[in-house]
Amino acid sequence: MVNEQKKVMMEVKNINLRFGGVIAIQDVSFDIQEGEIRAIIGPNGAGKSSMLNVINGFYHPQEGEIWFRGEKRPSMEPYEVAKTGIARTFQNIALFKGMTTIENVMTGRQLQMNKNFFWQLFRYGPAIEEEVEHRKRCEEIIDFLEINHIRKSPVGSLPYGLQKRVELARALAMEPELLLLDEPMAGMNVEEKQDMSRFIIDVNEEFGTTIALIEHDMAVVMDLADRVVVLDYGKMLADGTPKEVQSNQAVIDAYLGVAH
Amino acid sequence: MYFRETGQFKSKYKEELAAFPIFEDKIGIAIAALLAFVLIPIFGLPGLSWDFTMSAVMIPVVIFTITTLGLNILLGFAGQISLGTAAFMGVGAYSCYKIMTIFPDLNALICVVLSGIVTAFVGTIFGLPSLRIKGFYLMVATLAAQFFLEWAFIRIPWLYNYNISGAIEVPYKEMFGIVLTGAKSEPLTRYFVCLGFLVVLTWLASNVIRGRIGRSWMMIRDMDIAAELIGVRPLTAKLSAFAFSSFYIGISGALMVFFWLGAAEVESFDINHSFTYLFMVIIGGLGSITGCYFGAILVWVVPVILKEYGKSVFGIDAFVMENFTTILLGVVMVVILIVEPHGLARIWQIAKQKLRLWPFPY
Amino acid sequence: MDLLTGIFITPFAEMIGLPDLFFQALWDGFVSGTLYGLIALGFVLIFKASGVFNFAQPILVVLAALALISFYKMGVPAWISVVLVLIMFYALAWLIERLILRKLVNTDGNILFMSTVALSFIIIGAAQWIFGGRPSSMIHKELGFPVGSVEWPMFGGGVYFELLDISAAVVAVLLIVCLGLFFSRTKIGRGLRAVADDHQAALSVGISLNQIWVIVWFVAGVVALVTGIFWGARSDVSFALQIIGFKALPVLIIGGFTSVPGAIVGGLMIGIGEKMFEIYWGPLLGSGVEGWFAYFIALGFLLFKPQGLFGDKIIERV
Repeated sequence: MVNEQKKVMMEVKNINLRFGGVIAIQDVSFDIQEGEIRAIIGPNGAGKSSMLNVINGFYHPQEGEIWFRGEKRPSMEPYEVAKTGIARTFQNIALFKGMTTIENVMTGRQLQMNKNFFWQLFRYGPAIEEEVEHRKRCEEIIDFLEINHIRKSPVGSLPYGLQKRVELARALAMEPELLLLDEPMAGMNVEEKQDMSRFIIDVNEEFGTTIALIEHDMAVVMDLADRVVVLDYGKMLADGTPKEVQSNQAVIDAYLGVAH
Repeated sequence: MYFRETGQFKSKYKEELAAFPIFEDKIGIAIAALLAFVLIPIFGLPGLSWDFTMSAVMIPVVIFTITTLGLNILLGFAGQISLGTAAFMGVGAYSCYKIMTIFPDLNALICVVLSGIVTAFVGTIFGLPSLRIKGFYLMVATLAAQFFLEWAFIRIPWLYNYNISGAIEVPYKEMFGIVLTGAKSEPLTRYFVCLGFLVVLTWLASNVIRGRIGRSWMMIRDMDIAAELIGVRPLTAKLSAFAFSSFYIGISGALMVFFWLGAAEVESFDINHSFTYLFMVIIGGLGSITGCYFGAILVWVVPVILKEYGKSVFGIDAFVMENFTTILLGVVMVVILIVEPHGLARIWQIAKQKLRLWPFPY
Repeated sequence: MDLLTGIFITPFAEMIGLPDLFFQALWDGFVSGTLYGLIALGFVLIFKASGVFNFAQPILVVLAALALISFYKMGVPAWISVVLVLIMFYALAWLIERLILRKLVNTDGNILFMSTVALSFIIIGAAQWIFGGRPSSMIHKELGFPVGSVEWPMFGGGVYFELLDISAAVVAVLLIVCLGLFFSRTKIGRGLRAVADDHQAALSVGISLNQIWVIVWFVAGVVALVTGIFWGARSDVSFALQIIGFKALPVLIIGGFTSVPGAIVGGLMIGIGEKMFEIYWGPLLGSGVEGWFAYFIALGFLLFKPQGLFGDKIIERV
């Protein structure tokens, strides 16, 4: 599973993140290899989401470095990180509630569109061609994720599982190199989880997208992930293949609890 | 099934991206255009004199629709609240006056457009706080703009050319031998100038809103954090919304003084007017261009007509009617908020939905 | 160069050179500050208790003052008029709850805010219709508040204290203390805070939303009446008082939307700050800067301390 020849895409080194006196992440380092599915697991409040927030520039760690594609990344704002090809979904759905499904997916193309204000103003020539071209691309993604039937529904009224899928579609529309998924299967029933897992694998295999995901369902993680990082109270407990992690004593203790 | 999409297939994305993809909508627009361009200018409105129809109903409502468009772009599409609308209209009016004074030979219409650009700059400056704050906090920041600008309109005599009256006095302007502004201009000319602006500005607004920039505004409105993580730069998105919106508001301010009132003092730009424009947007429908038309018509035309009928038909005192319409406006607003917070535009949409299925409700 | 001296040197020289004038300005600022704080308190009460940003508060002040004067002019004794106004406000609170707020439970804060803007239109129309639009003068003398002033010699000059201002400050402070105790110590106060946090959750633990709202709006009405009496006595009673009411908004920004002490401190800062600016820096710009300076103080705060003096820093989560 772990292929030594694979290139490292992203590496986080000795990240420390504090909010006032609260330590959210303490000295965490791991890497993400190109083309793999990397899972981050841990109990609630372990700092998983904070870790994703650090990766996409929403939080700025007090200490630590982020290396992306062999270069040290300077401190960036989230919109700059998005330009480097990192997309994400959210734990609590963060769709644009005032828009329809197709419009939401189109927002993912925002960065690829670049025709200037004056073409936009007249919606003519290059601007409309661009719009049509990206619309085509979005329709393909909608097709891929099997959400054609809700294309024109306002997202606010969709059931939870579909909203999650639209969010994935939006992230895919960005054509990211690294896709961060924050609990993509939270609150889903078994069937929906199966669908979602299938999509994640398809994305990874068909588009070659590198994926880092946070998930609580261990069965899913063990099936999907190539390698797993375990966090607990902001510290790193283990890093390795699902098998290795599963048999790691510290991890078992953290999940089952030990007598102190 | 009066109103239906079925059977109207689109084979190209381009067709579906058109402004009015559905045939029935096109008919509706044609009827509205016929009314606005031909029927009302010729016959006026029933029960009202032609002069009154033009100068107290049609010209202002067209101008206020432009204002409402501007405010709706900011509030309805970009989600940034502003209570400084009236003051920004003032910026448009005073800058138009200054431009006309400095370049006396410049065409009046170009002056109006330029004053829109000036207002866009001023609006962007007062939009800067939106980068740090939102919601009610931003509202207070825009109040700062409102009160500061009101003060400036009084205390900086340069703005009104040191006129003793302290007011803008509209100069005489003509184009192709037709008098555009000043006391001698025909109401019909002024009406068509305003209507022309409205049509062009509506078209431009609908273009921008359906494209990349409009989407970035709506992203910021709906979920600013997610928008940023997708790559929208809040600075650009918010400030462009302020600029674009202020451009509209500035143009409407210039039109209001030069093509409707004929003279203006600071009272035309006070905070109560800002509230009225806010009402137009809310009653019409946040985030809807059609709604801007509904809102301006309901908030402006209905009270004016009521007042006029009240006076001529029932002989009611103007003071009483004035207060009655103020109360009515408040009541309508409350009812709209309770029944359908998305305003008349949404009610219209629901009605269309019903027509789509009629006479079979399911 | 002239400008720089005008900004940085002359005002301070004047302050030191004429200390009696300085203290006079300080006192005037203090009095208007307490009254700003009082209006702001009206906002805070309703915001704390129902999450409604009540834009009608300024117009409630006008309404209170106008109604009081009208009752008195109809021949009702002054203090009975006060009672009548209070009864009127209770009825109004009940109506507002019944007709507007009850229908808007659990809606978005923006919609509630808009409904109070609409409400202020209704009140403006009604008040103008019933009481007429002409400015009239307050009946503070008839209510037994002292008039005239005392002069307190100081630094070779003298500072005038209007007796009315002194009573305004005293009443304002008393009212603020009472309300503070009411909120922190009584059962109703706790209920109010619960409602502010979450309508549904409050309902589920058995708090009557409707009753709470009536009480809060009534209390806001009482605050409006007190402010109306004293502001009305300082100037005329007219719809222009509404603009003074808006000054409470920057106060809220400085003090935070939910903090009672914040409203007081913010009010004093705004009151004193704008008075000083008007007297010492105003001449540079032409007079009337009082109209907007308060908002610029608030803007400054927003840019450097967006959560206000007494607010907590909010960590945004994704």
